Amino acid sequence: MVPGQGPGPVMGCSQLGSDKMKTWNKVASAGAGLLLGTALAGPALAQTVITLDTPEVPGSLDPSKISDAGDYALAVNLYDALMTVLPGGALAPELAESWEVNEDATEATFFIREDATFTDGSPVEASDVVYSYDRLMRLNQGPSNLFAGVVESVEAVDAKTVRFTLSKTFAPFLATVPSIFIINEEVATANDAGDDAQEWLATNPAGAGAYLLKDGPSGSGIVIERDEDYYGGWNESPIDEVRWIVAPDDSTVRSLAASGELTMVSAFRAPETYDALMEMGRFTQEDTSTATAYLLKLNTQLAPTDDVHIRRAIAYATDYDTIREVIYPGEELTGPLPPAFADFIPEGLPAPEFDMEKAAEEVAQSSYAGAPIPITLGYVAGTQFEEEISLLLQSNLEQLGFEVTQQADPWARVVEIAGAVETTPNVNQVFFGPTYPSPDSMFFSQYHSDSAGSWTSMEWLEDPEIDALIDEARSSGDPEVQAAAYGELQERIVDMQADVFLLTLTFQLVMDECLTGYEFVPMQSVPSDFTRYEWLCD
Amino acid sequence: MEYLVFLVRRLLWSLLVLFGLSVVIFVIARGMPGDPARMALGPTASADQVAQLRETMGLDLPLVTQYVRYLGGLAQGDLGRSLLTGRSVSADISDTFAATFELVLATILIAFVVGLPLGVMAAQWKDRWPDNSIRLFALLSAVTPTFLLALLLQILAGYVLHVLPTTGRLPIGAGFSADITGLVTVDALLKGNWAILGEGLRHLILPAFALAAASVGQVALTTRASMIDVTSQDYVEAARAFGVPERVRVLKYMLRPALVAPMTILGLSFASLIGNAFVVELIFAWPGMASYGVRTILQKDLNAVMGVVMVSGAFFVMVNLAIDVATGLIDPRVRLGGRS
Repeated sequence: MVPGQGPGPVMGCSQLGSDKMKTWNKVASAGAGLLLGTALAGPALAQTVITLDTPEVPGSLDPSKISDAGDYALAVNLYDALMTVLPGGALAPELAESWEVNEDATEATFFIREDATFTDGSPVEASDVVYSYDRLMRLNQGPSNLFAGVVESVEAVDAKTVRFTLSKTFAPFLATVPSIFIINEEVATANDAGDDAQEWLATNPAGAGAYLLKDGPSGSGIVIERDEDYYGGWNESPIDEVRWIVAPDDSTVRSLAASGELTMVSAFRAPETYDALMEMGRFTQEDTSTATAYLLKLNTQLAPTDDVHIRRAIAYATDYDTIREVIYPGEELTGPLPPAFADFIPEGLPAPEFDMEKAAEEVAQSSYAGAPIPITLGYVAGTQFEEEISLLLQSNLEQLGFEVTQQADPWARVVEIAGAVETTPNVNQVFFGPTYPSPDSMFFSQYHSDSAGSWTSMEWLEDPEIDALIDEARSSGDPEVQAAAYGELQERIVDMQADVFLLTLTFQLVMDECLTGYEFVPMQSVPSDFTRYEWLCD
Repeated sequence: MEYLVFLVRRLLWSLLVLFGLSVVIFVIARGMPGDPARMALGPTASADQVAQLRETMGLDLPLVTQYVRYLGGLAQGDLGRSLLTGRSVSADISDTFAATFELVLATILIAFVVGLPLGVMAAQWKDRWPDNSIRLFALLSAVTPTFLLALLLQILAGYVLHVLPTTGRLPIGAGFSADITGLVTVDALLKGNWAILGEGLRHLILPAFALAAASVGQVALTTRASMIDVTSQDYVEAARAFGVPERVRVLKYMLRPALVAPMTILGLSFASLIGNAFVVELIFAWPGMASYGVRTILQKDLNAVMGVVMVSGAFFVMVNLAIDVATGLIDPRVRLGGRS
């Protein structure tokens, strides 16, 4: 049996300093490694190995092509940015030890740590930041859309100072900086085959992150190991090795957990799977409220949801408690901003309410009253909970005189039909969370006219007043002005009932009781930064 | 001379089949729902980003121009770049093909080693309880859906008994590189790495048995039928009359001619499983070309979808061609176009 695999040894490897682990080290040092095969020495030397399941390994490790939380989970360990995000959303230094913003917030200057080094030991310099940014914009993928039309230039002031010049004041700019992962220019250009090193960086990291790639990526998983020389230093009980094992379905997760191979289980598995794991006795479950909103997006330009009374009727006809308590776990959501942005949520925003009588009154006030009202409820095909929510809503709407058509589309098709008002269904079930820790991330992508035609903005608001408020918050460096604009935005969006605010997503995390360090961060997968985790058991 | 014409004719037919396949897949791939550029760039990409990628991919060009471009690349061995991985499709396929090939090879081996003896035994005890039991088993294994069997095996061996690994080709982090043939077991053998060889075989067992079940049933039933057919031949009766020993009679006079049908089935299964092993590959997280193909279809990664289908198609055509050639060598009627 391979050390570090199978029921016993994995547990052994997962227990820092355990007798079993010490035994393996002694065996290895005694030269018994010859019997184990040269390829097997790695796991035996690792002190703390944690294993996670993942539905799939990201297609590319290139930090300039990050497009979802799964990509971020790896990148945040293999690469560092100038800044990072803390639980609660505060920005913190990473490669940059400090930064300055000029008076009108059109220039941001970052001072890179003297001791910051890439994993190959070479120093991180301003030229690497310029290269990483320019490459990001050349490829025009991943987070580049956050900077297009905002950043005018990036220049190296000296070896350790880099300046971003903006074309205009853009208040959320600093919150977007953690999205720019810094690539080692020398390594990337040495492996550039005329394609901006895309082929090479797809499978080889060249960053300053705390972890090194050890194995993979392949269709069955990926392994990263701790860089002991990481410039940022380590806590007392660091995680030495992190393994992602591809487990496409819940039965695989159960099998892996039962054989002791899993330390941490990903979110969004079936409740029965979590129950089965908890019965094994070595896991703890943590439910955390996230910054992701689950919404029914209502097409405000298509009949009958172009009438605000119809939209309000749908909101009143939604059985929030049944959805949150029975169908999909979550917490109350009162408007476009989840509670993670509590500082920006105005007081007195009414909680959504299930009331069929009020729903009937709204229908009566609408221009569609007095005749059957055809309506289309869209959801993602193959997602059982979305189908259940859609059927629940159908039963309530039919009591109000609606003629309901259910429209289940695969996700690829949903993205396509979101491109035109006429093809966007009246009601659309969507999860949306911030890609950078600012309310702007929630408002711009969903409600600004510049975002129209995307699945994130299936409301088709295209409202000049809403646009003006979003732009006002973006262009002001004054936090009070921003807060006022965000407050007014929420009141207006709730009043016009552009969405039905179903719930705030609860993140269910099941992990070994010896592992600690998880804290929710309102940015994609920063919680997967394993420098923040510790192994507590002996 | 006639045999040469036969070979050239088969080769031309094969090229025509591949050309037809490329047209059909090209049209189907472009007809799949979803914008490939949008799928590749993710949910938050701007319209400008999507438009630029569409232009880079040539998706803004007329369909015929796109196809001619694709054929031009194909002629030079360039399958394009994958949107999913950012790498060349040929590099992705080269990394994943060996895993699928190894799995299918193990599958065929199991089907042969298990299915053939079962078929022989069933024929030997025709209409008695061993025959009935084997037929029932063969029928069940042939009709049980592969995904169901794969999940059952996974739960039984991984969750209940904890006896076999349930994902991957090797323990994650083992760090072994199959850089000689691409086949883990063969490379481990060549390098004398017995621990990896053992692990490679343990990881192969569940997916290979799940994938082999249907073929085992088919081979057993076909072998049984062929054996029974051969049993009634005059020369077998003559061998019996001359007092040829039972073992020699069964193995030499009955099994050998009866092998043609099951061998043909195995050959075709081998070719088709290269592209059809995706269910098992997905369930057991087997990093093969078939599961890579599924991921690329879900992402509407056009170049990769085309690449996987063309490679699977070419493999299928090659195996068929090899079977035709072999059959032509054995049976002159095939290569002479049916003329006696």
